[in-house]
Amino acid sequence: MTNLNAVDPAAAAQDAHLEGADVVIGKSTIIFRRFMRNKTAVAGLAIFLALTLFSFVGGYFTPWDKETIDPFNIGMPPSAEHYLGTSQAGIDLYAMTVEGTRISILIGLVVGLVSVLIAAVYGCTMAYFGGKVDKLMLFVLEALIMMPALLVVAVATSGGGAGLKQDLPSWLLLIIVLLVFSWMGTARLIRSLSMSLMQRDFVKAAQYMGVPPRRIIWRHLVPNIGSLLVLDITRGVTAAILAEVAFSFIGIGIKLPDVSLGVLIGGATSQVQTFPWMFWVPLTVMFLLTGSLAMMNDGLRDAFDPSSSSSGKARKKRARNNGTDQSLVQKKAS
Amino acid sequence: MSSETTAGPAESAGLPAERLHVAGLAAPSDAVLSVRDLHVRFTSENGMVHAVRGVDFDLMAGKTLGIVGESGSGKSVTSLAIMGLLPAAAEVSGSVRLNGRELLGLSDKAMCGYRGNELAMVFQDPLSSLTPVYTVGTQIIEALTIHNPGMSRQAKEARAVELLAMVGIPSPKDRLRAFPHEFSGGMRQRVMIAIAIANNPRVLIADEPTTALDVTIQAQVLEVLHTAQEETGAAVVMITHDLGVVAGMADDIMVMYAGRPVETGGVDDIYYNPRMPYTMGLLGAVPRVDVAEKTSLVPIEGMPPNLLHQPTGCSFAPRCPLASDPCRAGEPPLSAVPGSARHRAACIKSESLGADVDAQDVFAAPPVPVSRFDAMPREERSAVLELKDIRKHFPLTKGALLKRRIGTVKAVDGISFDIREGECFSIVGESGSGKTTTLLEIMEFHKDQDGEVVIGGLSNKQAADARTKSAMRRELQMVFQDPTGALDPRFTVYEVLAEPLQNAGMDRQAIKKRIMELMRLVGLQPDHVNRFPNQFSGGQRQRIGIARALAVNPKLVVLDEPVSALDVSVQAGVINLLDRLRAELGLSYLLVAHDLSVVRHISNRVAVMYLGKIVEIGEVDRVFGNPRHPYTRALLSAIPVPDPQVERTRERIILKGDLPSPLDAPKGCNFATRCPVFAALPPAKQEKCLSLEPPLEPVTPSEAARTLEAAPGPSPDQRFACFFPDGQLDEDMLVVHDTADHHAP
Amino acid sequence: MLRYLARRGLIYVVMIFLTTSAGYFLAVSSLKPALLEQERIPRPTPEQVAASMRLKGLDPDLSPWERYVDWLTAIVTRWDWGRSPNGAFINAEFGDRVWISTRLFLASIILTLVIGVALGVYSAARQYKFQDRVITSYSYLAYIVPAPIAYFLVQLGAININESVGERIFFVTGISTPGIEPGWAQFVDMLAHYAVPTVAITLVGWGSYQIAQRQYLLDNVNADFVRTARAKGLSRNQAITRHALRVSFIPVAQSIAFTIPAIFAGGFFAEKIFAWPGVGSWSIDAISLQDVNAATATLAYGSVIFALGAILADFATTLVDPRVRVQ
Repeated sequence: MTNLNAVDPAAAAQDAHLEGADVVIGKSTIIFRRFMRNKTAVAGLAIFLALTLFSFVGGYFTPWDKETIDPFNIGMPPSAEHYLGTSQAGIDLYAMTVEGTRISILIGLVVGLVSVLIAAVYGCTMAYFGGKVDKLMLFVLEALIMMPALLVVAVATSGGGAGLKQDLPSWLLLIIVLLVFSWMGTARLIRSLSMSLMQRDFVKAAQYMGVPPRRIIWRHLVPNIGSLLVLDITRGVTAAILAEVAFSFIGIGIKLPDVSLGVLIGGATSQVQTFPWMFWVPLTVMFLLTGSLAMMNDGLRDAFDPSSSSSGKARKKRARNNGTDQSLVQKKAS
Repeated sequence: MSSETTAGPAESAGLPAERLHVAGLAAPSDAVLSVRDLHVRFTSENGMVHAVRGVDFDLMAGKTLGIVGESGSGKSVTSLAIMGLLPAAAEVSGSVRLNGRELLGLSDKAMCGYRGNELAMVFQDPLSSLTPVYTVGTQIIEALTIHNPGMSRQAKEARAVELLAMVGIPSPKDRLRAFPHEFSGGMRQRVMIAIAIANNPRVLIADEPTTALDVTIQAQVLEVLHTAQEETGAAVVMITHDLGVVAGMADDIMVMYAGRPVETGGVDDIYYNPRMPYTMGLLGAVPRVDVAEKTSLVPIEGMPPNLLHQPTGCSFAPRCPLASDPCRAGEPPLSAVPGSARHRAACIKSESLGADVDAQDVFAAPPVPVSRFDAMPREERSAVLELKDIRKHFPLTKGALLKRRIGTVKAVDGISFDIREGECFSIVGESGSGKTTTLLEIMEFHKDQDGEVVIGGLSNKQAADARTKSAMRRELQMVFQDPTGALDPRFTVYEVLAEPLQNAGMDRQAIKKRIMELMRLVGLQPDHVNRFPNQFSGGQRQRIGIARALAVNPKLVVLDEPVSALDVSVQAGVINLLDRLRAELGLSYLLVAHDLSVVRHISNRVAVMYLGKIVEIGEVDRVFGNPRHPYTRALLSAIPVPDPQVERTRERIILKGDLPSPLDAPKGCNFATRCPVFAALPPAKQEKCLSLEPPLEPVTPSEAARTLEAAPGPSPDQRFACFFPDGQLDEDMLVVHDTADHHAP
Repeated sequence: MLRYLARRGLIYVVMIFLTTSAGYFLAVSSLKPALLEQERIPRPTPEQVAASMRLKGLDPDLSPWERYVDWLTAIVTRWDWGRSPNGAFINAEFGDRVWISTRLFLASIILTLVIGVALGVYSAARQYKFQDRVITSYSYLAYIVPAPIAYFLVQLGAININESVGERIFFVTGISTPGIEPGWAQFVDMLAHYAVPTVAITLVGWGSYQIAQRQYLLDNVNADFVRTARAKGLSRNQAITRHALRVSFIPVAQSIAFTIPAIFAGGFFAEKIFAWPGVGSWSIDAISLQDVNAATATLAYGSVIFALGAILADFATTLVDPRVRVQ
């Protein structure tokens, strides 16, 4: 994930400065700058960071917590005492939203990061060894894709006498199950990408120089799939948040007393006509989360695209023109 | 018929519109296509690109105009502008008249009436230019249907068969139902030509129609184009970067640079009496396959200008050795060269140039470098690489989804040769001949391969331990074909060059010193080490690739098509560099190239491969000067030479068909299926070719020479594998374009 | 081709066997129907429960491996997928459930594909114009809304329409009104039941096809072969519809075939929210009722659908792309 920096031009750059060379900006700096120039992406990042911050410190702004029942305020609309009102059980909705947001972000980040890590290791291993190992691992991967994840989630989180369930909080169980079923697509992508990278001339050049395989993977393969990994992390985080909400919504994901955005949304559906704030508040938070991630993803994709110029508009314009004049494109490239 | 295509009208004063009008009227009445003051601008993210800046020409019926230029010169944009195929975002101005009717400004719909009917085009890449999901027949018939709605189904099919037969596709009736992927590149280009001539166009534009093809196939396709022109009487615009391709075909030439024509005229004017330094440079930059004498190539330093900015002076001035202050003050117009009716050049010094000025002097071509090994007899030099009976056979599988083995491809089938110190050894052949596989067998040597690879005295059979392997690797480095793909885009040049040095265990100070040394050695600025590859031009990237290969001081550098991805003017610089490095550092090269001119220029020895076997090998001047194997002869005769006189009178061998599948390799001589000698042999002798495999034998098959072969001696360094090298050539495969009357000076 | 399909089919049979077996073990070790039985009133003794379970082939005293062997033997020898804790036979229930699911999704799948592909083509043709931006933004929006919430919102909308009209136009749950007389009334009733789920599933589903079709078409709009077609005399739009569209459909056809199981997976949510007793809601119910055999059967069904999708994808590619046709 820090692969972008793995090239580490710093050392080389230092030497070159001594030679009086022109200043060269590192790749990561360029990507960072491009990303920062994309307003939507920056807005997405800001919203996401704000929500994360809110989920950690939001609890300090109210005396209520997610368990204490306020017997005098049951099913009340928002007020000075309860910023977002209370549930039918008389629990402060604001406190629950803070807690739910934290759980949802936690699930998203853990699943997003770890599944990409698993995918990278699995995919690279397949591509590197090839042959029989590749075939076997591909079989396992396809078999996992074939398993309807939802059923397994349901069995794992709803099983009657399962030992696991008693020892683990339901969010942790959900994380584990989501992890098991979330990395296959990325792994397959990384496999095919690494395989094509192995065929590239610069990898061959390194092989012909006698550079050891471990070094080739670390110096050439990983940095070149780095952008894909980063993109897949944001995508994976979004997907995990969505999955949590969907599962909890129909009552098979996170179970009370644990709360998450999905639990809050799902729990409010039956009274959406009478207590609309209980439904719309957590739903809005979820939209902000997934929406901000989607905005970041878009900006990152743009920043990583080597053929992209930093502004989205210019990119689109060029896309309209491309493919018409070979010589023009060649000239631009040179 | 002498004055065919006058390029450029007389400069006239007045408003542009008026001038155009006058020019249009002034165009010769028999011009099928006349272009006036054509400008094309694109908006890009960096601003307005002025891709074509004022192109004028008139094209007469049945004549051929060659537009020559490098990538970015605006030649393809010009053709697309004429066809009305530029994207809507392109701004096109000026005038394009087809038989007097203005085409510019017509709607897409109105243009459809002309495109494919009176105006047709053949594109560069035949592999991607046909729709993969429709049969070839459907695609030809579509072209007929569009412009002949009333034609019956049978008539269209009959015409399609006729067209396929005309472009030389065997059993055209069956092939109508084949899909494009079932055709080879050359065959697909024939189909493209068939589509283009389906409606007997008046003008046929061919945009680099043979660039993606092998030389033998190029010769076939050019021949088909010639036939097509004769059949339809169309005027042809031939766009190319290869001065050889148009030398024999074109009546007139227009040289383009930075979006403008810089020199126009009759073909002889341009080739024998160039008046613009750029044209001279281009002509001097290409090596010639028919010339043995070794001179350095003319390098044109620098890069074409960026068309984002309007040039304030002559656009070639920054690269021109003759440029002086007046050149930088305003772009010179295309003006008439005294003494010739049609010859025009955009150079204020054109009068002082011409036939008797040598491009070598103008561009200060470096002297021919001499290696310390050159004077030493070959036998006394030690071998840096030896191949003994290398074989590489692949199982051939069939089916895209279900793979089943249906045979064996003998990609390399018993190759032996050696490379001595300080020499350049080349392997040539069509794609599929096994030359790249041979390289891979050398680069990926291991102890279990079939045959022996000896590098610097160490054999692959001993290369079990890592130490022997890395000792062998150090002697052997490689330069790749595509300079962009060979450099990790995420590495700076410093990192690229440091990689082999770090791997060799050098310390940081030494690495830094060595990198600066390497940068200077390959002619790059040492302070550019901190840049990324994409900040360099193609030629510079290839220099980085060469520097990386030289980093650990190898004895042998393997060059895989090192200049084929580069523009002509840049190519010369890289070839000169390779020549100089070989001499200065005493390097040996193993070169694989499809361009036989480059091979002849740079090599000492050459091997011609056909279907995994060497069919002729020896000293380059012997093999190219006196080819013995019919395949070598065919290959050499297929190379176009940038010399119109030679091209017009030359006898050419056009091989039939494509390289056969290595699977069908016959028992006897591999080449028999396409051999021009074999075809003319009496059946009794043919039997020998079919049943016996000809061995690789020295040129003089006398007893005396044979005894001398083992020992060093005066036996000429040339061996070939053919039973009947002196046999008659089959007449059907011979083509001479006797166009002497046609090209009266 | 047939040999190829046979080989692929065999691999998938092995895969289905493995996933189903794994599912069985997971289910049998975590689902304990006996626990539910004990909540009955009057409360049965553990012996009674065990006896009743044993009768249905759900003996809680056997080890998971023994139960697996019994279960597998029954399937292999008699094609008997066992019984539910309430005594119902899986085989009998299965057919009805599959039929209900198929009815629910068939119309939506067709609508989703047609609308998605059509909008993809439409938006590609108007790249970066207003229409394209609206359509594509919608598709991205559909991507960040979890399917069940989208279904619920559509349901909510339908309820609001009903309320504002003051009459029950749409049924937001169930498949039909019981006891309705056949004929026109039944047809109207069917439409009223189908409308909401079909609209909901279609609205959520078309986004991904729209984006894919748009992208692939745009990739091909400037392809060399489109230029060739234009050089023949076709207008730009003709060249795109006759040449680029056909080529761009190759990957879309593949993904269509492949995503049919994904729509099935989405079916869990749709059936649950719209209360259609199909396979999806059955599987969820089976788990909450601790029904090992039903849960495993639905899992097996999911695997089979997936395998069919994969084979169908190969088949579709072969059909639309002559380059992969095996002679």
